[in-house]
Order: sequence, then structure tokens, then C-alpha cells
Amino acid sequence: MGQSNAETQATACPASGGSLFDLAGSSLTQPEIQAHPNAFYQAMRREDPVHYDEKLGMWLVSRYEDIVTVLRDPLTYSDKHGYAAQYASGFFAEFKEILEREGGGFFPDVIKDDPPAHTRVRRLLEKAFTAHRVASLEPGITTIIAGFVEKLADQAAGGRVVDGVNDFAIPLTISVICEQLGLSHFSADKIKGWSAAVTAQIGRMQNREQMIDNARQICELQNFIIEQMKQREAAPREDMISDLVHAHTDDGGKLSFAEAVSLIRALIIAGNDTTATAIGNLLFILATRPEVAKALQGSAADDRLLNRFVEELLRVAPPVRGLAKMTTREVELGGRKLPEHAHLLVLYASGNDDETHFTCPREVDLNRGNLSSHVAFGVGIHRCVGASLARMEIKVAAREIVKRLGQIRLAVPVEQIRYLPTVATHSIQSLPLTLSRRQ
Amino acid sequence: MAALKVTYIQLDGIEKTIEAEPGQSLMTIARDNMVAGILGDCGGCCSCATCHVYVEPEWLERVGAADEVESSTLDMVSDAHRGNSRLCCQITLRAELDGVRVAVAPSE
Repeated sequence: MGQSNAETQATACPASGGSLFDLAGSSLTQPEIQAHPNAFYQAMRREDPVHYDEKLGMWLVSRYEDIVTVLRDPLTYSDKHGYAAQYASGFFAEFKEILEREGGGFFPDVIKDDPPAHTRVRRLLEKAFTAHRVASLEPGITTIIAGFVEKLADQAAGGRVVDGVNDFAIPLTISVICEQLGLSHFSADKIKGWSAAVTAQIGRMQNREQMIDNARQICELQNFIIEQMKQREAAPREDMISDLVHAHTDDGGKLSFAEAVSLIRALIIAGNDTTATAIGNLLFILATRPEVAKALQGSAADDRLLNRFVEELLRVAPPVRGLAKMTTREVELGGRKLPEHAHLLVLYASGNDDETHFTCPREVDLNRGNLSSHVAFGVGIHRCVGASLARMEIKVAAREIVKRLGQIRLAVPVEQIRYLPTVATHSIQSLPLTLSRRQ
Repeated sequence: MAALKVTYIQLDGIEKTIEAEPGQSLMTIARDNMVAGILGDCGGCCSCATCHVYVEPEWLERVGAADEVESSTLDMVSDAHRGNSRLCCQITLRAELDGVRVAVAPSE
């Protein structure tokens, strides 16, 4: 199936013996490793679990157990400082200046704060994303997603090649989050550009020219958000932006203007980017693992099985590869002594691939007893607040795809699939497919 | 209103009996009182299954069963899921549960 040696090796189960991977000569900044990282992860887990990547200037945390240790101790491993050091890395002062000059201000991400400041805002968002509230949204979201699947089938008529990421996954997730936020008139292309610009700030791969272009896009996004907030300050509506503009936190206070802008920005971006990546991965797996597609096609009405499939999809192909933390004191992790202010990249994707925690980690196994212990959504106080919504969107997408579409095939050899250049996520850039309606 | 009692049986066998006001969830009470093994990552959204408990049999009827949404979250921890499993963020302390006993389920 054209897998790289690494992927084939990891598929051999139980995991094969010695690794031939040249860890010292490799870096996560290399596009080839970003695209096909599993052998790199495996070599780190075996040889150097908390590995210093010189080119990146970060410690890579690769083992499941160490990842959970880091995430369960937010005071030793600061999200706030790790994120700040990652953000617009190399160009931060200039980036900030552009936003202050043209984008209404520089608004730090409150979701990436440390406790206790983080807790106040987190409690507010949790109320909007309970599993029960999300369940009540399922019928409406099913209508949206079914429409996108039908449109994709129309586009693919007569054997025409469609793009599973740009024609389907991205516009679909943008539609869903805009509906939640109450944005009825939006340009999906603009939101797509804004998302890429924001996520590039933690990807570590942008040059100065790209940074300037991305900063300008983020200015446009912020000006759009501020305009939407103003409208709702004057006249509240039944939507999430109104809820945030008028929200009261548990301490009886209100969100500051800067906090509200940063939260709405986070919801627009986080609400579509990672979920779109997951839905792209869903199509990729259906196109490249016919046994999985077949199992799902026989079970479109089985909600339990679909839920389990979504968890396993997120484990095998987590959208978020790695996020940054920073040590606030000297600490030992995975046998390695780390100094204060060590900049870490926590590799969720490697944790999900850890053969000491998940038997045969490269296999899609819907009967895993420890299915939900994957770390695709993170662990601890920063665990993804929108997890229920993301899961439901992916589940509905899986259900509507297998109900409505027949065979899905890659329209190019698997080696030609390109991934976004970034250390933060593992995202297919474009997914050429042929597909037909289910007979 | 008088405080009610809840007992958590930790995995290490230690029983913690806590007095709390009604209206709070058993997850919040456990987290505020450092009951080992009750993490409540998602803050009570019923989405993470890190507040999984086994309700002691004599309390099962009064506590009640998990609804569909909670059951589907519990299904994700199938290794540890039993007939008396509940996510304690979904159990609100109320007068009829005064003295309720729950055992912390093993995490994965």
C-alpha cells in the first residue's frame, strides 16, 4: 500500500526489535519527518524518550506515561509560558506590533493561561460544550453534514476527482462552527485563510514574509470579531458570541474585551481546524483501509460502534501532534533532568502510538479496552473543551459518508499526499479522491 | 440546609467520608476534597470519563441509572465499565442520597 518503511515496521505486531532510525541526525523541523513521523517517534520512545531536538530548540516528550505526567502537573509544566515561547517564534515583537497597529490589539489566548486565571474562563466555556447540550445539536448538524456529503457526491459524478479536505472537511466544519457562533453571513474561504494564519503561529515553520502575511490575516479576523461583538453588545441574539459578550463568570464578573476577543477567535479557529483535519483523516482511512470502510458500511446505524470508531480514529491519527509547555523549575522527566525554563513539545501523537500502552498501536481496533485513554484531546485542565462537539461532528460525518457513498479511492498514489509544514498538527493539505454514491 | 454525607472508597482502600451541601455534583465534592482518582478533567461536561465510580449496590436504585449520553461516554472505558458504573459528575447530591457510598473505578 505504499507505506513508508517506518509505518510498515510499526504495523508488524508485536513491535519489531531494534530501530535503525538515525535519531541524532533527524529533526521534527524536517518536512519528511513531519509528514511520516512514526519511526521518529518510535526511535525516541525506545532510545531517548525526552529528546532534545536541536534545530527546533525544544525537548520532545514522546512516551505516553511522561506525557500524562506533564499534563497532570500544570504548575510545573506551564502551558502559558510554553505557548508564549512558541507563538510567532522568532518574530514575536514585529508580529505583536502589526496586531496592535492594524488588528485592534494583541489579545493573548486566555485558554492557554495557567491556573488560577485559566480556571475562571474554563468554567464558562464548559457550560457551552456539555455532552448533553451537544447531543441536542446532533439533528441540526446531521442536516448540514448530509448536505455536504450529497454535494461531494454530485461533484464526483462521472469519475471527477474531488478534494476531500478542501471541498468537504474544511467547509463542513466551518459551517458547523459558524452556525454555533451565530455567523450567518461568512466567507468560508476567508475563515479558512484566517485559521491557517492563526495555527501557523505555533507551527514553527513560517518565515518573516509569511509571518507578515499571517499577521495581516489575523488583523482582519480580529476586526471581523470585534465588529460582530459590537453588534451583539447593542442587540443580543441567541448565539454563542452573544453568550460570551454578555456572560458572567463564576466570580460574578464579566469577561474583559480582550478575553472575549481571544475566546471567540479560539472558538472560530479551534472549532474548525482540528475537526477538519480529523474529517480529512476519516476520508483518508476509508480510502486506504477497505476493511475499516467495510466494517462501517455494515454498521451505519450502530451508534456505539461509530463512537468507538471515532475514538480509534483520533488515537491512530490525532490532528494535534504536539503542543508546547515550559518548566517552571528544575524537574526530572523520563529519567532526564530538565532545567527551569526548558521548552517542551508534548507529542500527543507519539503517546497515542506508544506500544507499551496500546497493543499494536498502528492497527485500527474498535475493541480496545482502553480506547478512551488516548491523548488526542489532551489530559488534565487543558483537555479539549469542545471534545464532545468534535466527536459528534466526526461521528455524523462517518455515518453520513458510509450511508451515502460507495467506494472511496485515492486519486493519486499515497506517497503523493502532502501534509502541512508544521510541528503542531499532522494535517493532510489536499486529498484527491474519486467516489460514487452508494448503490 | 444540613450537610449530607458522601463516602468515597479510594482504590487504595481508604474510605473518605465528606460532609457537603446538596446541589453539588459528586465529582465536584470529590475534587474539592482531594479524593484520589476522581479527576473531572472536563469539569462535569460528561465527556471525559475521569470521574468514573461504582455505586455500592444498596444505593443503586436511589442514585439511578446513567442516561444515553452518559452511557456512551462510559462505553469508552469498556475495560472498567460495569453494571453499577456512573460518572459522578452526573450525580447531584440530594437529601435522599445522604450517606451514599461510591467506589472509585480504576483509571486506564
